[in-house]
Amino acid sequence: MMTENSTILSVNDLRISFRTVNGVVQAVRGVSFDLKRGETVAIVGESGSGKSVTMKALMGILPPNAVIEEGSILYNDMDLTKADEKVMHEIRGKRIGLIFQDPLSALNPIMRVGKQITEVLRKRGLSSAEAKERAIELIRAVGIPDPERSYSAYPFQFSGGMRQRVVIAIALAGDPEILICDEPTTALDVTVQAKILDLINQIKEERGLSVIFITHDLGVVANMADRVNVMYAGRIVEAGTAEEIFFEPVHPYTWALLESMPDLQTSGRLQAIPGAPPNMIAPPPGDAFAPRSSYALKIDYEQEPPMFALSDTHIAATWLLHPKAPKLEMPASLKERIARMRKEAEKYV
Amino acid sequence: MFKYILGRIGAMLLTLFLVMTLSFWIIRLMPMSIFENPEVSPEIQKKLEDRMHLHEPMAVQYFYFIEGIAVRGDFGTSVKIRPGLDVFEILSTRIPATVVLNAFSLILSIPLGILFGSWAALKRNKWADNIISFWIVICISVPSFVFASLLQYFLTFVWPLFPTLYNAQASNFGAQLYSMILPIIALSLNPIASIARYLRGELIETLSSDFMLLARTKGLTQGEATMKHAFRNSLVPIANTIIPMITGIMGGSLVIEKMFAVNGMGGLLIDSILAGDHFLTVALLIFYSAISLFTILVVDISYGIIDPRIRVGGRA
Repeated sequence: MMTENSTILSVNDLRISFRTVNGVVQAVRGVSFDLKRGETVAIVGESGSGKSVTMKALMGILPPNAVIEEGSILYNDMDLTKADEKVMHEIRGKRIGLIFQDPLSALNPIMRVGKQITEVLRKRGLSSAEAKERAIELIRAVGIPDPERSYSAYPFQFSGGMRQRVVIAIALAGDPEILICDEPTTALDVTVQAKILDLINQIKEERGLSVIFITHDLGVVANMADRVNVMYAGRIVEAGTAEEIFFEPVHPYTWALLESMPDLQTSGRLQAIPGAPPNMIAPPPGDAFAPRSSYALKIDYEQEPPMFALSDTHIAATWLLHPKAPKLEMPASLKERIARMRKEAEKYV
Repeated sequence: MFKYILGRIGAMLLTLFLVMTLSFWIIRLMPMSIFENPEVSPEIQKKLEDRMHLHEPMAVQYFYFIEGIAVRGDFGTSVKIRPGLDVFEILSTRIPATVVLNAFSLILSIPLGILFGSWAALKRNKWADNIISFWIVICISVPSFVFASLLQYFLTFVWPLFPTLYNAQASNFGAQLYSMILPIIALSLNPIASIARYLRGELIETLSSDFMLLARTKGLTQGEATMKHAFRNSLVPIANTIIPMITGIMGGSLVIEKMFAVNGMGGLLIDSILAGDHFLTVALLIFYSAISLFTILVVDISYGIIDPRIRVGGRA
């Protein structure tokens, strides 16, 4: 942990909707979180929970039919939701870098890898010789073998993991202070995933980056994040430090996510979360997860749960935390699993 | 890259040989005698037949035919259209007009097609796109000879701005070209529209691709990203449409040349088929195939230049 604990990016009550032919899709419905200097914040959720839309809003690359209804994104006392294209252009790449989900489609297939990196460097005013030198340095830094040769190779000549390293090198070329990783390992083989995660951790340490890590896979988050935000249906339903989310989860959705994670000890089938995420044109009233939850109370269908604070860092939006709610424990199988995770974790401390 | 081109040329020569063989057999097996002229005395006919090996079996004639082309560049002698003249000579007097007409049409079509296509894609669903897309549909669905008649009626009769027919005897090349403007326009409308249509579709798709998003997130402006990343990627599939476009221009040219009295190859091909001037027909067919194959070769090579995946030949 770094001693400097200032907030570098702050998202406050962000609401984003899409105008579509079928109606207004409320993709993000009041998301707030802070990113502190030097830490990694994870945003976890299923497809369609609004995590990628939040990311696009941070970068100012929302599609034209998206509207930021409310809220602010404060970066250095500047509200990015109100920044014009000119300002965002200064921020993209230079202040905030982005790593994409699919390295295959994120790279221009017919441009040499080196050129795709130097393009950014040239924009920052380096001469072409300097840019080339710097690009080769970056290629080496992200662990691609034979940097000089890789510099003049094309994306299709690389494997998926190597391509993702190229994407990371491009993101680093602008020398940003915030790195947003949008499911950076989803499209990769499991063996490669770990290497990419290590690389992200390593460059984060070396360069003192602050990282926003977006994923649907809690397992990936475990080794990465300082703090975790669990998102469901456009809202953050539980947020806390990694320990709090993994060892003391309180929201039924977080429970379900943890239970659906593969684990060496699980016997039998994995527990899938029943049902599908709600239609965000007409999101259900109350707790959006209630229809899929086996712990739903009557009030969950009627009224939206407020945020209950469990500690300074741990908050959750579920009626189960209300003083009048029945005292409910997490399922026994999950309890065992958490106990095992604790043991695992202690081994490495 | 060198190996790639060499491979392409090899394949092209093989195809050309097959085309030669096929056109020889198909045309020569047609039920029409090469000599039907009663004015030619039997002795002379006999002599000519001997000279052209016409008394030999077809298989033997075929080898004489191939040998003539491969060794001496001799395509035979015309017997009906211009009796006694070397086929190759007839061709060489007719080629320039057709080549000029087709080449100008091509030179006009590609940049204009690219211009309109990218304009429509960048202004997608705005009025500029709607107007361009409307004209694309018109120009693709209406055949070129209809446009030719309309152009002739309006621009030479109602408002006499251009000469009605091609003037091969014009004093200088400029005047000659001036009389060729209408046929060039008539031939170009369809190819312009088809390039524009393809490019519009491709560019719209490329503009919404992930690497365009990455280009923007790494700090390029929308304009820079479009020029540097989207444009070249959309040209890859466009290169493919150039092939049918060129054969389309040549096919359209057959009719357009007749309408504007351009003394090119188009009229010659139709006349020679109708007259049964087999040597000339075969030579013309070979010429048309050679042009098509050549354009395919050019497109294949430019493909390799645009798209490294083809040039380097790695796994895709």
